[in-house]
Amino acid sequence: MDFANLAAQLNAGTILPEGIVIVTLLVVLVGDLIIGRASGRWIPYVTIAGLLGAIGALYFQWDHSDSIAFLGSFNGDALSIVFRGVIALSAAVTTLITVRYVEQSGTPLAEFLVILMTATLGGMFLSGADELVMVFVSLETLSISSYLLTGYMKRDPRSNEAALKYLLIGAASSAIFLYGVSLLYGLSGGETRLSQITAAILSSTGDQSIGAVIALVFVIAGIAFKIAAVPFHQWTPDVYEGSPTPVVAFLSVGSKAAGFALAIRLLVNAFPTVSEQWHFVLTALALLSMVLGNVVALAQTSMKRMLAYSSIAQAGFVMIGLVIGTDAGYASMVFYLLVYLFMNLGGFACVILFTLRTGTDEISEYSGLYQKDPLLTLCLSLCLLSLGGIPPLAGFFGKIYLFWAGWQAGAYTLVLVGLFTSVISIYYYIRVVKMMVVKEPEEMSEAVKNYPPIRWNLSGMRPLQVGLVICLVATTFAGILSNPLFNLANSSVTRTQFLQTPIAAIARPVAQIESSADQL
Amino acid sequence: MPESTFGLRRYSENKIVNLADGVQLVSFLVLAAMMIGAAIGVVLLSNIVYSAFLLALVFISMSGMYILLNAGFVAAAQILIYVGAVNVLILFGIMLVNKRQDFVPLKNAWISQVATAGVCLGLFALLSTMVLATPWAISSLTPIGDEAIIEIGKHFFSDYLLPFELASILLLMALIGAIVLARRDYLPDEILGRDRPSEQPSALTLPERPRELISGGK
Repeated sequence: MDFANLAAQLNAGTILPEGIVIVTLLVVLVGDLIIGRASGRWIPYVTIAGLLGAIGALYFQWDHSDSIAFLGSFNGDALSIVFRGVIALSAAVTTLITVRYVEQSGTPLAEFLVILMTATLGGMFLSGADELVMVFVSLETLSISSYLLTGYMKRDPRSNEAALKYLLIGAASSAIFLYGVSLLYGLSGGETRLSQITAAILSSTGDQSIGAVIALVFVIAGIAFKIAAVPFHQWTPDVYEGSPTPVVAFLSVGSKAAGFALAIRLLVNAFPTVSEQWHFVLTALALLSMVLGNVVALAQTSMKRMLAYSSIAQAGFVMIGLVIGTDAGYASMVFYLLVYLFMNLGGFACVILFTLRTGTDEISEYSGLYQKDPLLTLCLSLCLLSLGGIPPLAGFFGKIYLFWAGWQAGAYTLVLVGLFTSVISIYYYIRVVKMMVVKEPEEMSEAVKNYPPIRWNLSGMRPLQVGLVICLVATTFAGILSNPLFNLANSSVTRTQFLQTPIAAIARPVAQIESSADQL
Repeated sequence: MPESTFGLRRYSENKIVNLADGVQLVSFLVLAAMMIGAAIGVVLLSNIVYSAFLLALVFISMSGMYILLNAGFVAAAQILIYVGAVNVLILFGIMLVNKRQDFVPLKNAWISQVATAGVCLGLFALLSTMVLATPWAISSLTPIGDEAIIEIGKHFFSDYLLPFELASILLLMALIGAIVLARRDYLPDEILGRDRPSEQPSALTLPERPRELISGGK
């Protein structure tokens, strides 16, 4: 195999978006090294430009038909493009809301953004990884960067605790995931490409085996850790409380989206032989996540912890789309992740702004905020109501689509539990809104009484304001004007090869081989 | 030459091969006994330095297993990475922490020990049932022995090129992260003093106040 031949086979243009992110990462790193701390003024903008450039490159890849790259390591199909876009966009918005937070805590900004971009890169590669080694390396890239980001405020014991906890639980779950993956490798007789594992398993070990079930359980443990589904959620509240808030914002959107991309690709491609089992396990995880996330969120007093439990519950809702496994199900999942990106990041942007101005994130301290800061109140209220699923906002349409798809597919229990728990969730979201809006001036909390004058011209405040307004506008109008997003989600699913080929079609030739072997 | 001894096994079925099988069996038994004994020592010894050195022994016997399986490169990598890097790092960690703390035995510790043993035995039973019950697709190719390095290199630059290159980004980021966590930062007090109404005691911390449980304890 000579070089020119190899270069043509690699089809390296498929990872152009990731290439742009890598170049941006190196520019930021070297630029900061040469210029020093003064580089903080332009570095965030370079980062955002790079991430938006990656999204632009993804847009131009939408029509490419030749999606397999690097001899099967990477598959840049439509579904992966949407997920990579979601991850890059969440990183871009996170960068906007990061600047002031990091500056005010006195930590270096360039390194933070470099590690954030590496996490983004890991997530993007994970969404398209089509081969077990690639899946694991990109998963570790995402995880290790997340551990580092979590412990970034290194003089704060809460941040240290969060990082250590996340590292230990994450390392354990990675090890379990790796064990499951190695079982897959053994069952399929040394096959690592996801699209060929099933055929290899069917031809070598037969239809049902206890090995496949155990591999499935271990793999699901790894994935459920990433998307923080109950009962693999124990790390979430502590890590969310102790991490820098922008990191939490990225973990709850970008990292989760990567986890869902991995879940779809790995489960649909590699486990059709134990399809009933994985649907059963994921149904249980979805039910537990929705119930536990929403019920425990009721009792929280800290905003970050409440959003942690709320994100567990939201992951439960998204899993409905994964479990039912129809086209509408996957499309509703993608659609919900798209609107969840804006409403959750908007919520976190508000929490960051409030924290920066008052130095607290207790829910009770928000009371009476309406009198002092109407914009913040408006934005936080809309984002929280949207998360709860109140009609004209984006979250309502996302939930309706999920539940409609679930009802069509006959997943009545899931949908009913989902409806019931969203009613519970509305209670704790509205509690915050009521706290901010309804209170009389004399009931104002200490923090709001001492609220500093609003100054957007401080360094790093402008990006935060822009991020806030973008999320606000998107959350408000993405519901009413949802058609483009809706079409994007639908066509991403219909154009994706592996979701369209029924499992039977993969299994059939192998079954024929088996039956002919039996005749012999 | 051990390599030729094992290599002979493939060719014919004469007496030399039986002898080689015998050597293989004996070395397997020795390595297995070493590994299990050392692993039990890692868990049961109370001095953590002994545990760390025994862990190295576990890794070394594991690399012996790889040699028995004709995987010389994996065996070398095992020693280089696990003994040379991971285990030395553990020892460094132990020496740097150097905290002498008396071990206070917990009340009713046996309950958790019994529970742990139960879970471990259950898992072991499950996994060994699975290993025995599954008809594994065993590859029919002959092991290539020392040419493995060439073959691995070819894979790194063809179908595993992307993970191989991504690993370089991963290592770069791990390097940066390690520096960020370990270096001594100067504390920009002027940034804090200027914008913060109620100044917090230290920089490089979360802007949120700790919850009252923590601050009220003082």
